[in-house]
This record gives sequence, C-alpha cells and structure tokens, in this order.
Amino acid sequence: MIVTRTWLNNFIDISEVSNEKLYETFNDIGLEVDSIKTYSIPSKVVVGKIVSCQKHPDADKLSLCQIDVGSETLQIVCGASNVVDAEFVAVATIGAKLGDNFEIKPTKLRGVESNGMVCSASELGLPNIGDGIMILDDSIGELVVGKELNEYPKVADTVIELELTANRGDCLSIHGVARDLSAKLDIPLNNLEYENNDKIKIGLARVAELKSDGPIMGALKYTMADINGLHTSLIISLRLAFIDALQSSHLQNIVKYTIHTTGVILRAYDVSDILVEEDEKITISTVTKENITYIQANGKELSILGINHNSEAVAYDDATKVLFEASYINPVILTNAIADKELETDELYYNTSRGSEPDLSIGIKYLTYLLEQYNECNFFDGVISLDDESEEKVITVNDKEISNIIGKSIDKSKILNILTGLGFRVQSSAEDAFGVTVPKFRHDIENIQDIAEEIVRIIGINNIESKPLKFTEAPRVNETLNRYYAKKDIRQRAVSASFYESISYAFTDKSLLEKYQFPIVKEELDIINPITEDLNTLRTTILINLLNAVKRNVSYSKKSIALFEIGTIFNQNREEKEVLSLIFSGQKEGENVTNSGKPNPIDFETFTKKLSSIIGDFELRAGVEQNALTHPYQSAEIIIDNEVSGFISKLHPTVAEEFDLPTSFIAEISFDALIPKHINAKPISKFQGVYKDLSLVIDKNLPYNQVAMAIKQIDLPLLKKFYPIDVYEDETLKEQKSLTIRLFIQSQNGTLEDKDIEETVNKIINTLQEQYGATLR
Amino acid sequence: MKQLEEKISQAKSLEELEKIRIEIFGKKGALAKEFAKLKDIPGPEKKAFAEGLNKKKSYLQKLYDEIYETLKQEEIEKLLKSEAIDVSLYSNLETKGALHPVMETMDKIIDYFVALNFSVEDGPKIEDDFHNFEALNLPKNHPARDMQDTFFCKDGGVLRTHTSPVQIRTMLKQKPPIRMIAPGAVFRKDYDLTHTPMFHQVEGLVVQDKGEVSFANLKSILSDFLVYMFGDVEVRFRPSFFPFTEPSAEVDISCIFCSGDGCRVCSHTGWLEVLGCGIVDPNVFDAVEYKDVSGYAFGLGVERFAMLLHKIPDLRMLFEGDTRLLEQFR
Repeated sequence: MIVTRTWLNNFIDISEVSNEKLYETFNDIGLEVDSIKTYSIPSKVVVGKIVSCQKHPDADKLSLCQIDVGSETLQIVCGASNVVDAEFVAVATIGAKLGDNFEIKPTKLRGVESNGMVCSASELGLPNIGDGIMILDDSIGELVVGKELNEYPKVADTVIELELTANRGDCLSIHGVARDLSAKLDIPLNNLEYENNDKIKIGLARVAELKSDGPIMGALKYTMADINGLHTSLIISLRLAFIDALQSSHLQNIVKYTIHTTGVILRAYDVSDILVEEDEKITISTVTKENITYIQANGKELSILGINHNSEAVAYDDATKVLFEASYINPVILTNAIADKELETDELYYNTSRGSEPDLSIGIKYLTYLLEQYNECNFFDGVISLDDESEEKVITVNDKEISNIIGKSIDKSKILNILTGLGFRVQSSAEDAFGVTVPKFRHDIENIQDIAEEIVRIIGINNIESKPLKFTEAPRVNETLNRYYAKKDIRQRAVSASFYESISYAFTDKSLLEKYQFPIVKEELDIINPITEDLNTLRTTILINLLNAVKRNVSYSKKSIALFEIGTIFNQNREEKEVLSLIFSGQKEGENVTNSGKPNPIDFETFTKKLSSIIGDFELRAGVEQNALTHPYQSAEIIIDNEVSGFISKLHPTVAEEFDLPTSFIAEISFDALIPKHINAKPISKFQGVYKDLSLVIDKNLPYNQVAMAIKQIDLPLLKKFYPIDVYEDETLKEQKSLTIRLFIQSQNGTLEDKDIEETVNKIINTLQEQYGATLR
Repeated sequence: MKQLEEKISQAKSLEELEKIRIEIFGKKGALAKEFAKLKDIPGPEKKAFAEGLNKKKSYLQKLYDEIYETLKQEEIEKLLKSEAIDVSLYSNLETKGALHPVMETMDKIIDYFVALNFSVEDGPKIEDDFHNFEALNLPKNHPARDMQDTFFCKDGGVLRTHTSPVQIRTMLKQKPPIRMIAPGAVFRKDYDLTHTPMFHQVEGLVVQDKGEVSFANLKSILSDFLVYMFGDVEVRFRPSFFPFTEPSAEVDISCIFCSGDGCRVCSHTGWLEVLGCGIVDPNVFDAVEYKDVSGYAFGLGVERFAMLLHKIPDLRMLFEGDTRLLEQFR
C-alpha cells in the first residue's frame, strides 16, 4: 500500500507531523514502513506560462516558445510535441541542476537561442507520467508564474510504502490509513469535502432499476453519468504514477484514483455495450448462488460480486454514458465461496478478498465530485442500491481482561477513547463489561483479544513494561531432548574426526535416485509442486545431496573433503527416519611434512577408523550390495547390537567419475541405532586370562564376519573376546588364505587349567573345520 | 689408590665406567682383593686396616657416583639432542571439522530455553492440513495462507510451513502448564537470493491458567533472549499480524552492523527484524479444546539469526556444504 503525505492530508492534517514521526507512528501501529521517499524538485525550476509557441524556423520537430517565468519572458526551444497544448509548464531556468552532471546553460539549437528547458516529469526526478513535457494545472495548487515548483508540496511529495498484514484490508486506501493514523495521533479525521453543484439532473430511477433474487453478502450501488469530456489532472497523474497505476484511459484513471483514495470498489460500464436500443431502460438483476452473486444488466453479464467483471462491458474514454457500480462483499464469505470454484479473479480481488470499504457512498460521492468538478460530466440524480443486511458484530469487553492480556493496567476510559477513534461504537455502561460494535470495515475483529490488539497498537508496545512470567517449575527432560543431546554428541565427534557438518534440502533429484537404485517415495505420496526439477522428490537418502556438495567443493579446488549430515529421509511409504550420512573424498589428510606433501587418498581403513571414533563399536558384514553407489568389493553392512543399521562403502568408480570426484568413501547409518543405550556393569574376573593366537587356513573368499559368526554361535563361557590380527595369502596357499585370530580366554571362577584352554580352542577349530573346512596352519 | 681414582675420573662413557666399576667394586675387583688381605692381618691392626679400607671404599664410591651422574647427564643430553625436530613444522597435521553455523546457532538457542525450563518437542515434517493450518486459525481460503507458499503432496499432506504444528501436537498430547520449544526444518516454496525451500525455525509456546500470561511477559523473555543472542542491542516491538496470535508483534533489534545508524543490511532503517510473536489466539485454544487458559507463542528463523550473528552474506551458500564457508567455523 502506497500513500503520500499530501494525499493523506485530504483526510487528516499531518502538516505538523515530521516524516520521522510518521515513520515511527506507522511502525508503532503495525503498518510497517517498507520505504519512504521524498521527491524534491531542483531549485530554479519554476512555473512558466507559455505566451506564444511557434514552429522552429529550421526544424520541424522543435517549437520556439516565449515563456513568462515571472521576472522575465524567456525564449526556449522545446522538442516535445505536446507543448502546443500547454499553458503552464515547468521551466528549468539557467543554472538549474537536473541530475548530477546536467546544468541548464544558455545554448543555441539549430541557430536559435534557448534560455532554459521545458521539463517532463521524469526529467525532474518524478515518476514518468507519459510522453512529452509535464503540463501543469491547478490541481497541484494555485499556479503562480515564477514560483519554484519545489514549493508545491503536492508535487514535491513524500511517498511512503507500507507493508500491510493480511488482515488489514481496511488500510488498502488513503482513507483507511488516515483513519488509523487519526486514532494514534489524536488528530481528527476529516471527511472529503464536496462542493455541491446546482445542475439540473434526471432521476436515475427513471432510467434504471435494480432487482435481486434475495439478499446478497454485501452491498451494491449504481449511479450513471453522461460523459462529454475527460482528462486526468496533473495531481491524479502524479499520484497514480507514485502507486504505479497510471493508465492511458482518463476514465479508468479517475476510477482507480477514487478506489485508492476511498477504498470503495468501483467499476465503470459503457451503457452502449449494455443496451441494444438507446432509450431502453437499464434493468440490473442479481442472482445469488452459494454466496456468489452474479450481476447482469439487460441480460448482459456485468460482474460477479467481488470477483471479476465482464471486460467487454468496461467503459473507456469513448463512452458517452457510463454506469458506475460500487460494491462490497464480506471477505470471509467471499474467500470461502470462491474456493474450489474455477472463477477467474480480476486485479480488484486482492482488495475485495482482504476487505474493501463497506461504506459505498463515500466512493460514489467522491467519484461524482471528481467527474463533475474537473470534467465535463453530468450525473443522474440518486443511486439505486442493495444494502448490506448482515448484522454488526458486538463484542463484550471487560477492561480487566484487556489489562490481563496486555499485562498493564489500562483505564476503561482510555479503552473507550481508543476504540471510538478507530471507528468502533461503544455502548457506555457503568458495569465493568461493555459492548463494542465492530465497524464493518474491520471484519478481522472477532473477539476480546482482537480488541486487546487494537489497544496495544494505539498505546504502543514500547509503552508496555516487560514483566517476567511467574511459572511453576516442572521436569521437562523428555525423549526429544535426550535425542537432541545424543545428536549433539555425535555431531561433535564427527567434527573431531575432521568432518564438516552440512545441511541440504529434504528434496532430491528423482532421476538420480532411480539411477542409483534408491527407493522412491510412492507417487501418490510425493510432492506435487516441486520448486525445481532437480529437487523434485522427497529424499530417500542424504548421499546424493552430499555427493553434489562434494562435487561443488572439488570445483573450488578442495583436495580433501569430509562432510556429514544428520537429517530426515523418507521411505517408499513416506515414513520419516533420521540418518547420519558421511562422505570422505580425496586425500585422507592434509599435505604436510609427514607425507612430503603427497598424502594418500582416503582408504577403507582410515574411513572406518574415523567412523568408529564417531559412532563407537560396530561390526562389518561383507558382501551386501545396497545401491549403485557402493563398490561391490569394498562395501559392508554396519551391524550395531546385532541389527543392520546402515552401510559403508567405497564410492563406485563409475559414480565417482560421473560426479567428477576423486577416491571417496560413503556411509549412511540409521540415527536410532546411535542413541546411547543403558549399560549395566558386569562382574570383573579376579583371575588371570591368557591370549592365544589361532592360525587357520580357510577359503580365500570367506569373509571374516562368517568365521566370527560361527565362533559366536558356539557355547564358550571362557572366551571373553576374539579379533582378527593377520591375514596372509600366497601362491602356496592357492585358493586359500591364512587367517590368524587372537583369542582372550579367562574364567570368572578360578585359575585357568591347560585343559580348559585346550577345550575352548579345540571347540573353535572343530566347528570351523566342520562348517568351512578350516585347517590349522 | 691414586690409580683407581684416576681410572674413575677418566671414564669417558657409562659403558667404560661400568667396566671400571666391576674392576674396582666387583666380586673379584681391586677392593675385594684389598679386603681379602684382611684375614692375614694380625688382630690389633685389623681394626685400623679395616677402617682405612672402608674409608677408601666409600671415597671411591662417592667419586664413582659423581662421575656416574655426570656421564648419565651427558648421555641424556646426547639422546635429547639426537631426538631434536623442528616442532613448528607440525602445526595442524590433523584438523578438526566444524559444526554448521546454523546448527550451532540452533544449539545456542535451545540451550537458552532449556535453561529456562522449556521442554524440547518435535513433530513430523509432513503434516496434515489440520495441524499446519486449520488448528492454527488458518482456515481454508484464509488470505494469510498465501503468506506461506506451501509444498503439497498428492495425498493432501503438506510439508510443514512452520514449526507451529508442533504447538498443536504438544497441546493435544500434554496438559497445561506447557513450556515448550520446537526446533526444526520447515519448507516453503520460495527460492531466490533471500529464500530457500527449506530453512529452520525455533517455535516457543507457554500456556498457563487464564489471566496469568500477558504480552508484558512475552516482551520480557524475548528482550532478554535477544540480548543473550546478540549482545548489547536495543529491542523494538511492532504490532503485526499472525493468524495464530492476537495481539501479535514483530520484534526488531537495533542493527548490529551499523549500531542503528542505518546501513545496507538494515535497509537504512537502523533495525533488523528477527522474531514474530504474540498472545495465543483463542481460536487456537478452541481447536485443542483448552478452556480458561492464556499463553504466548513466538517463532524465529535460525538461518537469519546465524547470518546476522556471523555476518554470513549468502543464504543459499548455507545449504551447499561449501567448505570455504564451513572451515571458517572450526
């Protein structure tokens, strides 16, 4: 919403209010100021009166003008074609500075002296109001020849752009903004002044009638005028240019200007488009279905109330008889009624859906005044109308309750004053509680808290003293908090292991998920309005996003990139799950003296060690292909507490090539598996244990985890732990390998005897022999 | 005797000294030989001889100890010298990574409210219309829904446009008094220099008995919180509109870049908008069937806080895993 100081002045005298105060006040009352700009016209630009205007002797497109600037009459050559129509113009005299490097100097144009310049609006720093020079008229104030143009405040105006919240349709007009300002600044709100004229008029009822099939959810008013001549005055041009709404049609300009000034929705129809016979009577009829009112005139569609109008019936400057429609519809009813219906809305829907001015007469009166006073138009007498029959809202207000909501004691009288100033009607009462009638233009006010907000706006939030809340303490540690702490812990450990935390979107590229064989969220559950094609589905892995992030880093010449992210992914059924994803790409460490500047690329061992330092103990189970990112011979399932919880892998070389990455390793682990579990201490044995190495010859392709699994399944109470310490292959072993496992054997109850140790070792050997044909080396 | 003394004194190394020690003090050493003579010495002289010998022995022992100490010291000195390296070459061999500035900012925010006895709550990212809109006084067709460009799923699910649905879930699950925050990712269909389709919010909600919670309380906690986050700043409240609160306000801090004088970051206003807040709208309480309660709620964008706090110039960079940015936060 754009307002200007002098435009507001139509309703409220703010001449004593500085721009700073205005800025502060708007922000205080919740009309946030987006920008504030004061136009100033350069000095030595004055009002000039054209005494004569002839063709330049040597140039067809130039005019030679004698212009009275008060102190003298100047000869000025002008290139604009519309100078011939002008009487008063803006003249930049010698010495005027237009812009940084442009000073007006005496000059010769095609051999003729020119002592100044006739200016267009944009040459003076004003918004463009059309081709040619700016023709002055007294709409900006009495024109005094020689007077500095900067002394006309309506030209050198201050333009303020307000960002309105969605509930404040009432402030979509100069009148509405002035009304709010008036309550805050305690300056009376003036009505527009209209001068009566005493033209003889034909009664409208004689030529037009309005029929309805029942009540409408708003109001309608019609009036009609004979149009004999139109023009857009300078002030209307300028102001419409300030709000970026200047059009080529004078009639549409005046209508638009009236809407912006009063907030009343107005539409103009060309009567010749409605009537077949010229002397026919106009019969307007409304049909209301499901709260939507369709309006016709003599069988021709005019408009749908609050939604759109028939563009074929719109009146432009060639119309000689124009029917004007002023309308209002309750915005809540309107927005509900229009939902699910495929009705096209026009540019005024923004206003009607947020609440336009319900008092239609101020719009009609102002339009009549503008057209009759400044144009050659004659209105018919009276209006035909359908009134809004809805009841006004009454809210019961209690000053104590208001004070409680605000946290500051506010006097009843103060509340009454503020509400009255804002246009509410208050039923005075000696009781604490009193009724407040909400004006129709504030459809957003529904309950006492809305009333409290009005009070807060006007007294100013900054006048409410902060008070700490008294509350009852309660234990509030819950699973979410514990999970958050667990996450914080893992994040810190990942950082210690040289990874950078990354955040990526919860979306990814469906084609990449498909290509790399990840699950896809079922189509009937997926997003239907993605933001871009490469973020067109809910992600089922974080890794694709991390690969893209690494790719970007590689393009910034980074040689070692380690990223992790803890975030939400989805499965095919769109169930949410948090995972920890990691990627390590390129050199396994920085270049330094220990590696002579040539660090090795990341390898399985280093990556796995880093992962252990982040998530603790896990077991790797070989040989499961998860997706097409994984390397078939360097990938494993991550087993935590006997559950498959994720995977780790070298990035498949083909994928590395597709993403332009050096050697990379990836892992993705379910976060649920990483939540710390409760631990009970076990009794510690008082007896000495022994280490025993067991070297076996087994099938070359048998992964260690199968051997380990077989050992775990044997009932061996003395075996406290075991782990692989050496793998050896050579030609003599052929298709076999030697695997050395270190056993730690200890008893809880007594000193170990040799036979105990032997028994344990033999059980292992026998089992492995049976299951995998293992032999002792 | 002199000879023995010289031998000890001239030892060049610990090894040599050890040999000498055996020569002198060993079982078959010089001293032992001297002591062996004792048995041949007649009674009366025996005592004097023994005393003399013992004196000699302890003198030599003392000398030996001294020389040993000196040589040991020299040896260690030598060892130390041989182990000399240029330690300054070894700075930053292994570097740690860094937390993401947005997440680290979120941690800082959570810490504050947890310390004030707020619980931390969470909810799903894919929400239904009721929790994301309807219960928050954003009925269908409400113009304020336009404020939040929404991602829809084919089955009618929406990606939550704010963390406010967690308020509703928590109120339905718990009973007043409620003190909660809900941190997390939210989604809006907006993508330009200053908007990303996903960002993070922290939502706060307090509910107590009717008449207990006021706007003045909200001002108090948020003013203190903003000073905790941004240091010595001025805090300004401006009336605003959110469907789920009434009265509502937006909260600004004096610009931390220009101290309020006006600069590019604050669009020359001297103020930076950082929070939205208000008194919970009665329609929200109606939606969860709470009666005779009062409450306040607030919400903030974590990316905005992080960008302001750390003077990060580009929002979109935060979602690109750009280590040129991240490594600055080590």
